Amino acid sequence: MNGTPRGLNRFLLALIGVVLVAAGGLLIALATVPAVGRWWRDWAHPAVDSLTALAQRTRVAGGGSWVWIVVAVVMVLVALGMVGWIAGQGKGRSGTLSSHAGGEDAMDDDGGAPGTVVLGSAVAEQALKSALLERGDLLGVSVASYDMRGRAGIKVRVLPRQGVAPHEVAAAVSALVNALDGLLGVQIPVLVSIGQGARARFTKVERVR
Amino acid sequence: MKEAMDRILRREAYSSRAPLSIIAAIVIGLLAVYGLLEAMLRVLRQPPWLLDPPVAARWIADLPHGVSSTLLGVIGAVVVLLGLVALANALLPGRRARHVIPDPRVAVVVDDEVIASALARRARTVAGVTREQVMVVVSRAAVQVNIRPTSGIRLAEEAIRAAVQAEVDAMVLDPRPAVRVQVGQSGVIGV
Repeated sequence: MNGTPRGLNRFLLALIGVVLVAAGGLLIALATVPAVGRWWRDWAHPAVDSLTALAQRTRVAGGGSWVWIVVAVVMVLVALGMVGWIAGQGKGRSGTLSSHAGGEDAMDDDGGAPGTVVLGSAVAEQALKSALLERGDLLGVSVASYDMRGRAGIKVRVLPRQGVAPHEVAAAVSALVNALDGLLGVQIPVLVSIGQGARARFTKVERVR
Repeated sequence: MKEAMDRILRREAYSSRAPLSIIAAIVIGLLAVYGLLEAMLRVLRQPPWLLDPPVAARWIADLPHGVSSTLLGVIGAVVVLLGLVALANALLPGRRARHVIPDPRVAVVVDDEVIASALARRARTVAGVTREQVMVVVSRAAVQVNIRPTSGIRLAEEAIRAAVQAEVDAMVLDPRPAVRVQVGQSGVIGV
């Protein structure tokens, strides 16, 4: 429902996994196989020497080498990238259900009156939430609206009591959403997610014993 | 509308891998900030804070020396393990324990826990036993109902099966699970 970049998550995790497995495998090989240790030193020593030489050669007046500036810039980019990656998780909450711009065509419903009608998400969220919280078989309801590729969608998460038949809850929410359609005049994609919260596990199964 | 619903249901069926992504991003971000600090100290010709990067690089290049091979092997094994966790998260499908209930207007997903507790309640009322005597396991394609009878009272296994089946049919789950009822061999006393 939300805009979590799932493909990116999996790609970056795969990349991290491959790098870690390769590094760990190298460490194990260095610890156990002497030949690998020799090969590693033959390869790594010249590499480190050339890097050190590069840092010596590129020294700028009054400071260190510009190689370190490049390293610092790369580190800044990596840190910013990571912040961006975290910011992408679970994003996509939106505040607008639909907006209708008038004034284009005199034959429209609005009669060509200029202006824009914007329906805020709070309309649907509060209507659904207050209607659902009246039911005794639901312990918790949360309603949120998301922006899915330019159009709004509503996610309704309901936490029924233990033992409540989920299809009855689904039918009730569906009826409410149908009523909401009539109220708003626009159809909005709705996801109903029925789950069991921590509270349902610790409260009494029946309301009346 | 239709394709939006289908896309929502497809996404709801699989895990987004957000928790591990956030952990990985925080760890890499902190390492990058530390690297930035050491690099800036080099630029400003200040003494290093924890590790001088060239010294660290030389130490890594020298590796089998300077560390006991047991410790190195253990560190390597831990790193491989972390890598495998990340790879498994990336490559396994990560299907969530959920079923879809078809509805003409809204997209409905139900956690399997909710289905299990509804079926357990149905089985319990038909069998006339207490909560603790019924255990229901719901998986993608099967519903397993385990009932331990009260000692001395025979349970009508077929009636329980029919009731649970009727409840599953009423839910119209997708995918549709098969119902199995198992009545325990030993009874429970003191209920």
